[in-house]
Amino acid sequence: MLVGIPLEQSNSAIKPKECAVEMSDYLVAVADKRCKRSFSRVFNYFAPRLRSYALKQMGNEALAMELVQDTMSNVWQKAHLFNAEKGSPSTWIFTIARNIRFDMLRKLQNRKEDVCSDDLWPVLCEQTADLNEAPLDEQVTLEQIGHLFEALPSKQQAVIESIYIDGKSQQEVADELEIPLGTVKSRTRLALQRLKGMLHDSE
Amino acid sequence: MIRFHPSNQQLVNFVEGSLSPAVSIMVSAHCDMCPLCQRVVEVETERLASELFEENLLPAREEASGFSFADASPRYSTSSLVSSSSMFDNMLANIIQMPDAKSVDGKIQSRGTRSPANVSSGSEADTHKIELDGRVFTVPRTLRRYVGKTGNWSSLVGKLWQAPVDLGNQGVANFIFMGQGGSVPEHTHRGTEYTLVIDGEFSDGLNKYDTGDFIFMDGQNTHTPRADAKDGCLVFSIVDQPLHFTSGIARLLNPFSHLFFR
Repeated sequence: MLVGIPLEQSNSAIKPKECAVEMSDYLVAVADKRCKRSFSRVFNYFAPRLRSYALKQMGNEALAMELVQDTMSNVWQKAHLFNAEKGSPSTWIFTIARNIRFDMLRKLQNRKEDVCSDDLWPVLCEQTADLNEAPLDEQVTLEQIGHLFEALPSKQQAVIESIYIDGKSQQEVADELEIPLGTVKSRTRLALQRLKGMLHDSE
Repeated sequence: MIRFHPSNQQLVNFVEGSLSPAVSIMVSAHCDMCPLCQRVVEVETERLASELFEENLLPAREEASGFSFADASPRYSTSSLVSSSSMFDNMLANIIQMPDAKSVDGKIQSRGTRSPANVSSGSEADTHKIELDGRVFTVPRTLRRYVGKTGNWSSLVGKLWQAPVDLGNQGVANFIFMGQGGSVPEHTHRGTEYTLVIDGEFSDGLNKYDTGDFIFMDGQNTHTPRADAKDGCLVFSIVDQPLHFTSGIARLLNPFSHLFFR
């Protein structure tokens, strides 16, 4: 129980439209005056609803509460970014929660791609981009490949040409050249290894 | 004129945040260029938000405080309601101890991967533009951060240029520029290929595409992108599996396409 902040009665009887106006006023009071009372009203309305959204999305109470906490902390700290002309408090708070959920799930799934919710939905955007120099990727041109291809031993060339240019299967190539399938496989492997090696050397 | 858009379902999933990060980037960048889809996203966001927070009556019974036991939904035990209520009380008490963002030394806490130390000292405007051969292209907002993660341009074949964009490990993104008459060898896809036309027009034997068009291809499509207009065409493309070239000498590229049109 909080000292000095009277807890509010249920807001559930409020109609959506009136609720939006009322919540919007509270958010402005939080932004302008850091009004704790106003924030507790916003909190009491949204936190339980967020929790039921979060439970569905995260499927686990601890993560759900983390999502609620992060969302409501952002509402408290960044209320000045709320703009009633751009949308309702519900929409604003939903986008914050959705963004946090997106980043949480990405982290949980251990995905390494550098995509973050701010790029997609810049709802809390005050950041500027960083400029990490990306390492140069290996590049291969068609001409380069053609050139390197000619440097292969003729037996390997024949196998590679049948498979990668004529689109034949390894078995077809074996039958055609009257050599064992294993030989086709090893020539292919050697040729690709060799090409790869040459590609590295030509960097 | 933009003729190719993400599907309605893709837009809805984008709003929900349930698309993969790579596809989200493509949809988001398309929306930067397409007022129509932007509007759909806005409407869909409002609809979803009001569905969650305004129409959904069940959670209203468990307001953070002041709930009545008589109203409590029978699936929740009394003890879980009490504990969730005190959890909310604690949470509220913790949050209002936090300083507001403006007073934290101007730094914004973000869950994102960026830290203020990484902020570029270069001119902000430079990061919004891509330069190739004396031409300057403005990229959509979503892609701006990736301009700095773009490698150098290299010539692929003929009038085709590509610059890889480091997105981490999911899919491989490239800016590809097709000069007039430039063409990508005919190919199909082992996975999926998303392409967004940043500037210019091209055709691929299936359709003609214009600036802003959002193109999705998978194993069912075989195409040969080609730019015929004088100014050429810049696209942003993400593939999750190497392309599979289907004709002529380009087939020889297949074992290496992971190094290439990755």
